[in-house]
Amino acid sequence: MKVLNSLRFRMATLFHRSQMNAEMEEELRSHIQHRADDLERSGLPRAEAERRARIEFGGHVRYKDESREAAGGTLIESLLEDVTFAVRQMRRSPGFALTAVLILTLGIAANVIVFGVVQALVLRQLDLPHADRVMTLQPKNGGPFLSYPEVRDVRDQNSVFSAVAAFEVQDFGLEANGVTRPVWGCEVSGQYSEVVGIKPFLGRLLNRADDDHPGASDAAVLSWSGWNSDFGADPNIVGKTVRIDKHPYTIVGVTPEGFYGTEKIGVSDICVPMANEASLDGVNWLDSRSYKNLFSIVRIKDGVTLPQVQAELDTIAARIAQQHPKEEEGLALKVARPGLIGDFIGGPVRGFLAGVMALAGIVLLAACANIGSLFAARTADRAREIAIRLAIGSSRWRILRQVVVEAVMISILGGACACALAWMALTGLASWQPPSRFNFKFQVLPQPSLILIAFLISVVAGVLFGVMPLRQIFKTDPNATIKSGGSQSSAVRRWALRDVLLAAQIALCCVTVTAAFVSLRGLGKALTMDLGFNTKNVLRTQFDLNQAGYNVDAAADHFQRQLLERVSQIPGVEAVGYANTTPLAFDAGVAAVFPQQTVDFRPSSTAFDTYYYDVSPGYLTASGTRLLEGRDVSFSDTPKTPPVAIVNQEFARRLFHSEHAVGHYFKNRSGVSIQVVGIMADGKHFTLSEDPQPAAFFPISQKADTKTTLIVRTQRDTADMVAAIRKVVSDLDRAVPIRESGPWSSQLALNLFPSQVATVALGVFGAFGLLLSIAGTFGLASYTVSKRLREMSIRVALGAQAKQILSAALGRMLILLGSGSAVGILLGVAASRLLSAIVYQASAHDPFVLAAVACTAVLTGLLSVAGPVKRALHADPATLLREQ
Amino acid sequence: MSNQAQLLPGTLDLLILRAVSLGPLHGYGILLRIGQISGNALLIEQGALYPGLFRLVRQGLLKASWGTSENNRRAKFYELTSAGRKRLREETANWNRLVSAIGSALGAQPEEV
Repeated sequence: MKVLNSLRFRMATLFHRSQMNAEMEEELRSHIQHRADDLERSGLPRAEAERRARIEFGGHVRYKDESREAAGGTLIESLLEDVTFAVRQMRRSPGFALTAVLILTLGIAANVIVFGVVQALVLRQLDLPHADRVMTLQPKNGGPFLSYPEVRDVRDQNSVFSAVAAFEVQDFGLEANGVTRPVWGCEVSGQYSEVVGIKPFLGRLLNRADDDHPGASDAAVLSWSGWNSDFGADPNIVGKTVRIDKHPYTIVGVTPEGFYGTEKIGVSDICVPMANEASLDGVNWLDSRSYKNLFSIVRIKDGVTLPQVQAELDTIAARIAQQHPKEEEGLALKVARPGLIGDFIGGPVRGFLAGVMALAGIVLLAACANIGSLFAARTADRAREIAIRLAIGSSRWRILRQVVVEAVMISILGGACACALAWMALTGLASWQPPSRFNFKFQVLPQPSLILIAFLISVVAGVLFGVMPLRQIFKTDPNATIKSGGSQSSAVRRWALRDVLLAAQIALCCVTVTAAFVSLRGLGKALTMDLGFNTKNVLRTQFDLNQAGYNVDAAADHFQRQLLERVSQIPGVEAVGYANTTPLAFDAGVAAVFPQQTVDFRPSSTAFDTYYYDVSPGYLTASGTRLLEGRDVSFSDTPKTPPVAIVNQEFARRLFHSEHAVGHYFKNRSGVSIQVVGIMADGKHFTLSEDPQPAAFFPISQKADTKTTLIVRTQRDTADMVAAIRKVVSDLDRAVPIRESGPWSSQLALNLFPSQVATVALGVFGAFGLLLSIAGTFGLASYTVSKRLREMSIRVALGAQAKQILSAALGRMLILLGSGSAVGILLGVAASRLLSAIVYQASAHDPFVLAAVACTAVLTGLLSVAGPVKRALHADPATLLREQ
Repeated sequence: MSNQAQLLPGTLDLLILRAVSLGPLHGYGILLRIGQISGNALLIEQGALYPGLFRLVRQGLLKASWGTSENNRRAKFYELTSAGRKRLREETANWNRLVSAIGSALGAQPEEV
């Protein structure tokens, strides 16, 4: 009768659902009424007749379900019913639902965020017309840079590209409305607009005529962001004159919003023709084949395939190498996917993202395993209910469907939260600037398609953990289960699916924890490693005198020497020096080094390439670079005295096979002999993870440069000192735009950036993995204990020892924990090899890391089984047996 | 009760078509008619009729309309469509073939083999 009542309740809730449902209901009721009429005529009282009619009718709900299915098109309706049921289930155990949603939110959010970044940086094409035809042109080997003559040769000799362009990012002193500010600009060659193929927002873009010859045009084009930030989105901007490094330029147009050039990680404010570069850069490199400083971007003609492009590039490169053997020997070119400086950083970025994506997937899998085992445990608890439903005619598929619908609903809820979380994270990431003087901007704004991805991930995850109780449902024998009171006596000794899931989950979590520790350890090493110089209490101030109209002549030299003298008089200054640039600032020059006996200066006779810097006397002391032998550079080294250099140990080892090389000579590309006068300690020059690189310091007094980096060692680094230095610079010349000024250590933040990103990302995954394994172990341990509490209390009553009880209750748990952790650590060690590319000295063979992971695994295990163990040991047999 | 036979799978549809072919009927009426024409020899659970009815309507073999029954109650009446009539003819022929085949198989004597 109770069953009937609940069925009637369900009928009532379903009654209004749709016209068809109502009709079906009415029809069935009409049937029962007709039958009751007949029964009444045979002499039964009306009430009894109706009761009999209902009983004779049979399984009302089942027939209705079947009728609905037979009538077709009602899958949605029965799904709706399942959803109602699932909501009721969730309301009945809100704790479970909340935990599951939370875990899934984190798991799915990790995936959606990572996918968002992957989509933005790797999958999505540049936002240009026919973007699939746009590629980066780069050398096959080495860095991403080309010389202008190389780009020009490809442009003039090819038949596969519709346009070939070069561009160089350059910092400009932009003078508008009487103020000079340092901005990032771009010098582009004549076909740039044809490659990108966009329409201007205002005015026009630069064209071939602008780039015809030096001085052909004073046209400049603003980017959308430059127009907004530097000119307040002035609608009458076209035709106005600005000054770039003191040279007048006329604004001829503005690029549309959403055009960020062809790189996804940066944006410049203003674009000028490359033909004018000599007046802006201070060096004429348009005809130099050895001055490789340009990125190149090309548009492939319609119908031309990549193999055809490569074949043509091979021909052109071979021809160039043959015509200019001195500079171009061995030249090889290729095209690569644009957006991340070709394959140069695109390769590592793609590799890292793939690794992180895999970790995110692992975390989600672990989360699914976790919730799956909870679901399986809960299904075991519901065995009796399921048996009853089977007995009254529900099909097993229907019950499984309900479990899966519940799972998918939980996971879609989690997915929705995850979507919101990912949206916030990506929006934050897109508006965030990494610590750097470069204007990095990540074009990672979330796309609507992410919602679809999140939804798909949710559904897959839901089905994944929803079907885990499948076997349980299908082997439930209604008779046996109802008789045994719902507890599956046989389950106690058999390895259940949830045990395997737990071990798998612990293993997966150990992988993430290992990765986190490895990168943490790497970051720790990076923070304390020997850079070759000491940034403590050092202020670094950087500007380019070229932007204030100085040339590479006596005026710049005079300014710099005056600056040196005045700054050294500021109270509290211990040492001061300047250089054209400093290590790890990403703009050090690279020059070929030739042995002294070289006569033929072609690339193949190069000994190696070295980083080089032009430094003033005192720079070594101010920067804390250790001079091991010989002397510092001096102002008495002039263009008229023999050229000298200080080289580092690596340089000396490579060229002279000895670190005692003072007095030896080497040659540069122009064949000039340079004497080594000092040996300095090795250090880092481009990235923190690099192997020792050769480096040389030349006296800036022998080779003047307008680029100036002032290094000041103070007794303490304070804001006052920064202000004092700025004041000295502006007192000397107000027009000098200071690019940056502050503690050197904070300016190195960009170098630590990759390890930091890796550490944060992996740390989050690690913490999350830990949380999951605690939750999973705790959940299963408490479940095991509560299931067997009665049995254990009987054992205690019969005199079992605590140890026996423990091994009975949790022996299997410990086996699972141990084997899971061991497998996880092994996997983690294997996976960590991948990390070493990004994180400095990341090695999973580090005993510290292994010990930390093992400790974490043991602690986690102890922590999560402590509660259930206590409960098992303190169970009072008398109370317990009475209760049941 | 005990002398009633279980329906063979698939035969309920045929019985419904046959019952309705004699004139429009509502669900309960169909049940009574089947009982009447089969001499109450078949055991049909009452509710089991409806999934069959809905299936036949969906297949376009039956059409349904609301009306008033002889008991003065609202009821849904079913009648055959032309497709239903055709199907009934085919199924009846099939059934007869099946019955005679099974019958002769079961009735075969050893000497006839």
